[in-house]
Amino acid sequence: MVKLDQINLSKDGLTKFFSPIEAEILRALWNEGEMMTSELTEKTSIPLTSIAGTLDRLVKAGYATRRVENISGRVRYIYSPAASEEEVANEITTKILDNLVDAFGPVALENFSKYSDKK
Amino acid sequence: MIIFGEINCLGFCLETSSIAHLVALFFVISIALLAASFIIKRPKQRLQTFVSAQVAVLLAIAATFYTMKCSEMLSFYLYLAYVGITGILIFGVVRFYDRLMIKRLDAKPAGNIMEWVQKFVNQLASATVYYYDSAAPRAFAAGRSIFVSIGLLEVLDDDELKAVLAHEAWHIRNNSRTPYLKQLAIMTFSSHKSSEIEELADSFAASIAGREALSSARNKVDKVFI
Repeated sequence: MVKLDQINLSKDGLTKFFSPIEAEILRALWNEGEMMTSELTEKTSIPLTSIAGTLDRLVKAGYATRRVENISGRVRYIYSPAASEEEVANEITTKILDNLVDAFGPVALENFSKYSDKK
Repeated sequence: MIIFGEINCLGFCLETSSIAHLVALFFVISIALLAASFIIKRPKQRLQTFVSAQVAVLLAIAATFYTMKCSEMLSFYLYLAYVGITGILIFGVVRFYDRLMIKRLDAKPAGNIMEWVQKFVNQLASATVYYYDSAAPRAFAAGRSIFVSIGLLEVLDDDELKAVLAHEAWHIRNNSRTPYLKQLAIMTFSSHKSSEIEELADSFAASIAGREALSSARNKVDKVFI
C-alpha cells in the first residue's frame, strides 16, 4: 500500500511515509475512529479544498474507508481508518525491511541482528 | 474489384515514390495521437492531441493523393473512410458520453439518496442526476445527465445545490441546440472558450436559485463546473 517512492527519511514521524495532510488525517482517524468530513476539517484545521483530494487518495490507497449516510436530509461521508496504527506500522516496516534485504542481502540481515542485540 | 486495383496501384506508386515513408509516418503519428487523445485526462491537452491527430490524418491523405499518380480514387476512398470514422466517433462520443461517464465513475441516480434533487431538475430539463464517489466538490453535465460528486452534496446547502443543478440543467436544455462539434468541445473539454455559454447558464441559475446562492456555490466548488 505504501508507495515507496514517497518515502522521505529526512522528514519527521509519519511524514516520512505520508504527505503532511495524509499524516494529519490518519492521525485524526486513529484517535477518533469514525469522523465526518466537517469533523475532519475542524480537527485538522485543513481547508476542505485541500483535504478532499487527499481523502479520495487515502480511500483509494486503502488506508481509510468511507460510507455515505443521509443525516437529516443531508448527504454525508463517514470516514473510518481501514487499518489500525499498529497494522500500518507493521506493513510499512515489513515493506522496508524486505527492500533492505532485497538490496543488501546478508549485510542487511547482519545489521538487523546487531540492532536487536543493541536494543 | 476497382478497389483492389487501386490498392495495387497505390502499392506500386508507394514503392516507386520517394515519400512512401512519409505517408506511413503520418498515419502512424495520427493513430498514436488519436489513441493518446482518448487516454489523456487533461481537457486542454486532450483537445490538442485530438486536433493534431486530425491534422496528421489530413497530411497523410494529402501525401497519398500526391503519390497517386495513376488515379485519385483511392485517396477519395480514404477520405470518405476518414470522414465516416470521425463522424461516427464524434457522434458516438457525444451521444454516449454520459453512458461512458456513468460507467467510469460508477455513478448512481441521485434520486436514491436525495429525492428532491431529481424532482427539482425534472422541472427544468429532461435529465437524470447522478452522484459519484468523490470528496472533491464537482458537478458537470454530459449528454442528458448531470453528475455531482458526493463531496458537492456535502458542502452545498439546498439553495446552492439548486443553483448548480440549474446551471447544469441549462446546459442540457441548450446542448440539443448546439452543433455537435461545439457540443463535444463544451462537454469533453475545458470551458475556457465557452465563457459566454457559462454566463448564460449562470444567469439562468441565478434566476432560479438567486444570485447569492450561485456565488456562494461557486466559492465552494473548487473547479469551475463545466
